[in-house]
Amino acid sequence: MNRRLNFYLALYGRLAGAYPHEFRMLYGEDLDRLGEDAIPDVSRRYGLSGLLRLLADIAVQLPAMYLREIRQDVSYALRVLAKAPGFTSVAILSLAIGIGMCCTVLSEIQPLVGPPPGVRDPAALVTFHWSLVSYPYFERYRDAHQVVAAATAVLGPVPFAVAFAGDSSAKAERFYGHLVSPEYFSTLGVTPAAGRFFSPETEKPGMPPVVVVSDRFWRTHLGADPHAVGRRLRLNGLMATIVGIGPKGFQGIWPGYPADLFVPATCDTSVAPELSGDPLNRYDREIFRVVLRLAPGVTMPVAEATIDTITRNLDREYGVPSGRDGKGRMWRLMPAGTFLYITPEQHAFVNTFNVVLWALVLSLVCVNLANLLLARGSQRRREIAIRLSVGASRPRLIRQFLTESVLLSFAGGVAGIALAFGITHAMSSLPVPSPTPQEFNCQLDFRVLAITLAIALAAGVGFGLMPALSSARVDIGRTLKEGAQAPLRGYRRFGSRNLFVVCQMAVSLMLLLVTWFVAMGFLNTTRLDTGFETGKLILISLDPVRDGYSAERTSALVAALPDELSRADGVRSVTLAGSVPFASLASDQANTRVASQTGDGLGGQVLHSVFRDFIGANYFATLGVPLLGGREFDLRDQRQDEPGPQDAAVPAVLNQTAARELFGSGNPIGRRLREGERNYTVVGLTRDVPSGFLVTRPVATLFVPLSAEWFRKNPTERITILLRATTPRNTLAPVRNQLASLHPDLTVFNVRTMREDLDRLNSFVEWQAAIYITLGMFALLLASIGLGGVTAYAVARRRKEIGIRMALGARSGQVQAMVLTEGTALLMAGSVLGLGGAYVIARAFAAYSDTLARTFGHRGGNAALVFSAPVMLAGLAMLACYLPARRATEIDPVAALREE
Amino acid sequence: MMKDKHPGEFLPLHNNWFHILLSLVGAEQHGYDIMQEVLARTNGAVRIWPATLYGTLQRLIADGLIEESDERPAADLDDARRRYYKLTRLGRKVLDLECERLQEMLRMVQRKRKQEAY
Repeated sequence: MNRRLNFYLALYGRLAGAYPHEFRMLYGEDLDRLGEDAIPDVSRRYGLSGLLRLLADIAVQLPAMYLREIRQDVSYALRVLAKAPGFTSVAILSLAIGIGMCCTVLSEIQPLVGPPPGVRDPAALVTFHWSLVSYPYFERYRDAHQVVAAATAVLGPVPFAVAFAGDSSAKAERFYGHLVSPEYFSTLGVTPAAGRFFSPETEKPGMPPVVVVSDRFWRTHLGADPHAVGRRLRLNGLMATIVGIGPKGFQGIWPGYPADLFVPATCDTSVAPELSGDPLNRYDREIFRVVLRLAPGVTMPVAEATIDTITRNLDREYGVPSGRDGKGRMWRLMPAGTFLYITPEQHAFVNTFNVVLWALVLSLVCVNLANLLLARGSQRRREIAIRLSVGASRPRLIRQFLTESVLLSFAGGVAGIALAFGITHAMSSLPVPSPTPQEFNCQLDFRVLAITLAIALAAGVGFGLMPALSSARVDIGRTLKEGAQAPLRGYRRFGSRNLFVVCQMAVSLMLLLVTWFVAMGFLNTTRLDTGFETGKLILISLDPVRDGYSAERTSALVAALPDELSRADGVRSVTLAGSVPFASLASDQANTRVASQTGDGLGGQVLHSVFRDFIGANYFATLGVPLLGGREFDLRDQRQDEPGPQDAAVPAVLNQTAARELFGSGNPIGRRLREGERNYTVVGLTRDVPSGFLVTRPVATLFVPLSAEWFRKNPTERITILLRATTPRNTLAPVRNQLASLHPDLTVFNVRTMREDLDRLNSFVEWQAAIYITLGMFALLLASIGLGGVTAYAVARRRKEIGIRMALGARSGQVQAMVLTEGTALLMAGSVLGLGGAYVIARAFAAYSDTLARTFGHRGGNAALVFSAPVMLAGLAMLACYLPARRATEIDPVAALREE
Repeated sequence: MMKDKHPGEFLPLHNNWFHILLSLVGAEQHGYDIMQEVLARTNGAVRIWPATLYGTLQRLIADGLIEESDERPAADLDDARRRYYKLTRLGRKVLDLECERLQEMLRMVQRKRKQEAY
């Protein structure tokens, strides 16, 4: 019996002993004593069930007791935080902005480099690096099952004139689509939201026209009709049946060239004039982008080798006399399905760069937080000492500080998440510089958010705890006697706080310099600066084929247009172009191979990535780009109605880069070139003009005449008319009238000045740059807050000393100088470290990417930045120091001396 | 630091609170005494287990209804580990108010009964 009671007593004692320290201090012994009294009594009255109830009671009360303490902690912490509104708001704000910025930095690039939505296992999808492929070649690659699981060929984006009403008189709208091989959807692993997709069995030449529409098209133009499958649309004048609707968000494999319509490449040429000339069976029509899904376990190099072998065999089979000479790799593969056509190296670089930025911002936020919390912690040493002396336990103190830090971090975290969502949402509405309508679908990366939050919260909690953890070292008596001035063992004058401030200054300066270098360089190198007057250059687009023009009528139109339009009022000169100048993305560049020819007609230098641009007569004169030598095309070149003999040379103009790469420093005028089966004679040389958006270095460009003959061969190309007007606003109406009266059936679209066009492109770059600049400013602000906080803390700590100095006759100027000197020392140390760090980072990046090397090395601006950034930092930091310094002079010596 | 509550704000009193306050009327008691008295007064119907008792005592002290007594019993009866509690003025007031409330309720029941009887 006794033994049983002893057992229960021991159990009771254990449970009672686990009560919170403060409770034990007050009632512990009493509770123990009560158990000793109650247990024999309960046992006697109720037996085992009573004893069990007694133990259950104490077991239930135990967590309730702790909960009560936590609730106390929370309400105490809230009171403490509310009492220091400055500290609390700065800590929460900096945490919030930091987390928001960090998430944005890593998330904003994802829509540009990430996989398109809706595609299964995008990592296995690859495409040819910068190269287009002919359909017969594609078929052979597709069947290389040892390395390729599936493959598809895509032609696009191609415009379609779509009419919704059945009759042919209905007004058509332009939409962009992809012409795809039947394996398109199965290769991408996309499943239809409704209806069916294409398959090799159902899509055969000669079948009635069918189309798959995107979810976006279905919602915006079919009114989300649940019976849309089976409805008919008029595509380029021909009725086509909707057989399927794509999944939500899916706009094709390249979100950068979004498609609303998917038409099988086996369709009739009247639906897709792009397919005229039987490209599906012509090995020399290299017009398809090919996407391969690699077989499981196959790496890109293995696939490249296999594809090379197949290509060599095919070249031999077809007798292709190309520059593909058996040496080295012919094909390079790269991941498919990114917004931009982006190489793995670019991808890795962009990611690394952003991760470095992210790490810098995050460390800055953490250091700032550490600084604030440590400074505050030491201000509270007196409070800690008092609480310890009246019996608070160390765990309880730690818990108290933990609660405060968690609350602070939590508030900052929640605000940060909200900010991150806000920024990404705002970025999603950015105008995207693209010829086709599309959305910049910027979404928060939740992994990034989770990691950022975790680190920021860990820093907040960790540094918040430090004062409590070091409380063991507090000399209670001395602290109580001397207040906050009692030195903590191990806390030297240049303690961890000063170290943090120096780090903060350094990191913020690094961040500022790096982000501003990049932003400025980015702006300077990608901002399209044409070097000529763009405000008076009017662009008008025409698409005669989709207006029902035959090839013959189109070529007649091309021949006649410049003359007709130059007669309109206010037009100074007119030219035609095959593509809108500067409008192409970097990814559209380099679309052909050109070989220079020596006297014997063979060999010579081969340039693999040349941008071929079709231009009309007086093109350079109309743009205002001077020629460096030779002449530009005239109307004779444009009117080559009769195709000459096969080897007759067509005139061509080269830009400086092409001329240098093909002919070195020699004079290119009069030299001969070969591109595919055509021969050219160089008749002119022009200076390098940026050829497109995000093109950071000049691309070798071959200008060839936009002739009527060329149009006969390529009837699907649209034409852009460039007009240099005396006053654009007044010129537009006569030009439109002229066009309408002479060619009433021609649809005129995209009428704008070139400046408007460029502004649209540049606004995107400016936005991106603005984000980086904001990031830099934020860093600066954080650093200044940090320095200000530490200075204010130092002033508070030296209150007594300052009081004595002032009592002894120090003037307020001297006191201010004393306080500012310390801040300046920290600032100087931080600036030197920061400049060095920025230099190291810039060098590292420059070594890593030649684009950035150019950016960092960009003339002008950098020296000013290196000088102005520390000055700005110093200005802000000094202001932050000045405020507490001024407060120091307001110390009343008598009050300060009496106070403690 | 904490604002004193108005006695009326404690009403109606929790059962355990009522019994503990009632036990302390006229006598300072330690925990086990309170337990025993409640048990005896209610003929065993109400038993306040030790942990609940101390949770409640802590709350009563925090709210200022009871306080620890400085007076100790004679040395031979004293156990240094025990703590003695007594009512505060606020506690007394709260208990009185609760008693009035209960009496009023009782009167209401009786009036109702009388009406029924007619």
